Amino acid sequence: MPRPEHNEITLTIDGRDVTAIDGQILVDAARGGDIEIPVFCYEPKIGGPVGACRMCLVEIEGIPKLQTACSTPVKDGMVVHTQTDRVKGAQQSVVEFLLVNHPLDCPVCDKGGECPLQDISYGYGGGKSRFIEPKRHFVKPLGLSPLIAIDRERCILCYRCVRFSQEVSEDHQLVLLERGASTFVATFDGHPYVAPFSGNIIELCPVGALTSRAYRFRARPWDIEGSGSVCNLCPAQCNVTFTVRDDRVLRVLSRDHDGVDDGWLCDKGRFAYQATHSDERITAPLVRDGDQLRPATWERAIQVASGIARHPGAAAAIVGGETTNEEGLLLGRYMRDTLASHDIDSRQGGALSAGVLRELARTDLQATVPDLEFAHTVLLLDADPVDDAPVLDLRIRKAARRNDTQVLVASGRPTALDARAAVAVRHAPGSAASLVLALDSALSGDHGAATNHATDAGSDLESINALADALKTGGEDVVIVWGERVTDGAGGEAAAKALVNISTTLGLGTREGSGLLELPRGTNGRGLREVGAIPTAGPGLSNPVTVGRSTDQIAAAAAAGEVTALWFLHADPTRDGRNTEIWTRAMASAGLVIAHASTLSPELAEHATVVFPAEAGAERDGTITHPDGRIQRLRKAIGSPVDVRPAAAIIARIAEVGSGVDLGPATGPAATEAVSAAVSFYAGLTVDEIGGRGLRWQDRDAATNLPAGDLNGESDAPVPAASPNGALRLGTYRSIWASPEVELSPALKFLSRRPTVELSPVDAERIGVIQGQNVDIGTGTDALRATAHLRSDVPAGSVFVESGLAAPGNLPSEGQLIEVSKA
Amino acid sequence: MAQIDEDDIILVQRGPSPTVAGGFYRSFVETARGLKTTLFKVFGETQTIQYPEEKTPVYPRFRGRHKLHTFEDTGLEKCVGCSLCAAACPADCIRVVAAENDPNNRVSAGERYAAVYEINMSRCIFCGYCEVACPFDAITMGHDYELSDLNRSDLIFTKEMLLAEPIERTPLRTEDE
Repeated sequence: MPRPEHNEITLTIDGRDVTAIDGQILVDAARGGDIEIPVFCYEPKIGGPVGACRMCLVEIEGIPKLQTACSTPVKDGMVVHTQTDRVKGAQQSVVEFLLVNHPLDCPVCDKGGECPLQDISYGYGGGKSRFIEPKRHFVKPLGLSPLIAIDRERCILCYRCVRFSQEVSEDHQLVLLERGASTFVATFDGHPYVAPFSGNIIELCPVGALTSRAYRFRARPWDIEGSGSVCNLCPAQCNVTFTVRDDRVLRVLSRDHDGVDDGWLCDKGRFAYQATHSDERITAPLVRDGDQLRPATWERAIQVASGIARHPGAAAAIVGGETTNEEGLLLGRYMRDTLASHDIDSRQGGALSAGVLRELARTDLQATVPDLEFAHTVLLLDADPVDDAPVLDLRIRKAARRNDTQVLVASGRPTALDARAAVAVRHAPGSAASLVLALDSALSGDHGAATNHATDAGSDLESINALADALKTGGEDVVIVWGERVTDGAGGEAAAKALVNISTTLGLGTREGSGLLELPRGTNGRGLREVGAIPTAGPGLSNPVTVGRSTDQIAAAAAAGEVTALWFLHADPTRDGRNTEIWTRAMASAGLVIAHASTLSPELAEHATVVFPAEAGAERDGTITHPDGRIQRLRKAIGSPVDVRPAAAIIARIAEVGSGVDLGPATGPAATEAVSAAVSFYAGLTVDEIGGRGLRWQDRDAATNLPAGDLNGESDAPVPAASPNGALRLGTYRSIWASPEVELSPALKFLSRRPTVELSPVDAERIGVIQGQNVDIGTGTDALRATAHLRSDVPAGSVFVESGLAAPGNLPSEGQLIEVSKA
Repeated sequence: MAQIDEDDIILVQRGPSPTVAGGFYRSFVETARGLKTTLFKVFGETQTIQYPEEKTPVYPRFRGRHKLHTFEDTGLEKCVGCSLCAAACPADCIRVVAAENDPNNRVSAGERYAAVYEINMSRCIFCGYCEVACPFDAITMGHDYELSDLNRSDLIFTKEMLLAEPIERTPLRTEDE
């Protein structure tokens, strides 16, 4: 559905001419004309109006009775009065009515001081109540979930939380039970309200009925300061406000940004701030002393780390997704220019050539986040937004619900959006590349090739054709959301080229509002690629002097002794669940292992030579790039602990001490300018231009500096999916809860993941396990023990193992066969 | 030297120089008359208050050191840690950190209580706004005004100090001193 057209009309509110958009809701139109109409239940983010609270009554000429402004669309020439005695009388009556059962809890209520009910009672209420009867009582406060406390006495029944659960997150858990004055909000079955987006109802509640248990009684609004930044826990990069008291983050609120998050946050983004102040966090540099890591002075830590200068050409760096553009650029420069090593990678699944990356980054092929909402079709290619970039899941649901967007899914593991999907195609785990090739062939009418590729992908021509037909007939505006794992492995390059081909066939480049949107694994996956933290391209996706090794090749080379120094910048490859065994050997045989980390995995604790404490999200300064090209600023909300320093400053200091080179500005606005000087299509970008809302580099004139792509390079064909033959095809997935921040946050700890394996009921019956039983994955001493989770939508022959856990097992790579047996 | 205008000169009329009797009168009689009140007071009641042994009684509405109150029947603290006093304080000398009550071991009557309640007496201007702001009459201005100390940090009064009855901090002289 294309974006709606906006016809301007003029109406009169309180004698003033107000310009509004035809069909806009009166409350919004009035706000645009600087006239406030009080509301409780109306919230355009949630969906259509319900008119539950009656607070917005206004007088409209020609209509005898008062009307609710939240459910009245404006019309040209409408005359509205909001200040007449009749309206004021109605407002006072509504406030008095709402306060009939509302307890006088304000001094103990967390909402006190930032409460719309307080403000509106003060501004529009009569100031006294005639109600002398006893008020309605509920048990209070109760835990609605481990994260949310509910106080039902305070509820004014605005329906916001219930509507959020039903219509936005679509988890359908919250309902209103009973009738009349006894109505209360609860989950249907009495279970706790646990959902990935549950925290949003705290922010939606206009009274103190739903409050955060993590923030409970921590501060009052006059004790705190808000500090705007960007969440750096996943590629969705939601805009947030950190609530700070006494230099500690106490709460995270959404900072509405239509272009990024639509005003929602996931629970990880909302509550994982607690990891910042965890006692388990590393807050001083550690240096190896014998078989232990011991706290050391900065001088000593830098001295040891600068030993990397003695490994020219044999040093390698793995850059984690949280790294900022500035840090990535600085490390890339030091590695390439001074240490003559080209082995730097921020992707896990193998490298794509610079030409293909430039082709994928083409400005005309780039879809934005709001494009998802107005597209005719959204195709998910081996991506599950709820795990990869949670807030985009809500955006796609919004598109499907409000704009009838057709959702298509092609993935290995069943996704949360399957229920919304018109066509959902399963492929064998790790065979997304073959599926993309099959789709490309099907779209261009080559059924022979399509059949072969579909078989390679563990799928069939029929499903691929259904997908292709839906893509062709669904409408012109198509957004393809693809997960980084599509381009993993041998066939990655071929898949990337096929993606570009598909875009050309569907004409995505020719239309505004359609294109590709990649969901990288790391938060700043896109930015790190663009500043050259990959082996195949320098800053600005330029062709490199020498192509370096990719992540897997670095691991192999280090294990073989060809790479002797490893630098993990905010990365811990043993935690990613890929090649754990090789990485452990690599770390053991490397002479120098430098890590920047907040917590230590057992492997790092055993093998790291130097560990520098990493800054937490709220302590960072720098820029990161959103998957759609929006460059956003991370801003320091709180001071770091005394012995925590910016990673960029550490890199610069190591270069100075070890190699005697000056890498230029490491921190502050000058470092951002260094990034814009190095990346041709960021040219001239300053922190002031980025500002608080960020901006997409594709929208700037410098975007034309992006060098032309190149699809002519050689590329390997993807490995065909193995036939199960009794064993099972291994797939992995990383849940949004599988992260160190979740494990360190007391509030979220209950969600932290234990090893889980998803099985189809067919295979489970064959193996003889039932839901919740333990299974062994693999054989012998390497076997990983996990809890079986039976899912009927998992295709038989595939098994999905959770990755990204603190204690990962040693698993073969995705798509290979594995034995699963009852433990 | 400039000429002085005749009109600018004012002639001062001096009295006659005193005689011997007049000089005696001025030296002794007038002096004694001036000292009359003082001399009579020597034999009257003593007016001096021997601070710190003795203290001036203050008016009932005197705004001295704050007191926090508990309920007489239950012994629970009246303060629920709402921080309104801190919001009202123009000198920004009150710090409140609230916490949640444990139902088995209640500190205050409400859901929350003040885990930390501190008033920095060296900053306090004794305006009484905290008392006005308090929705539970938990804080009132007391009558104690002896707040000097040797250390600034000792002037930060904690919740325990504010809850306790003011202790007599001034040493009293013993009889034989």
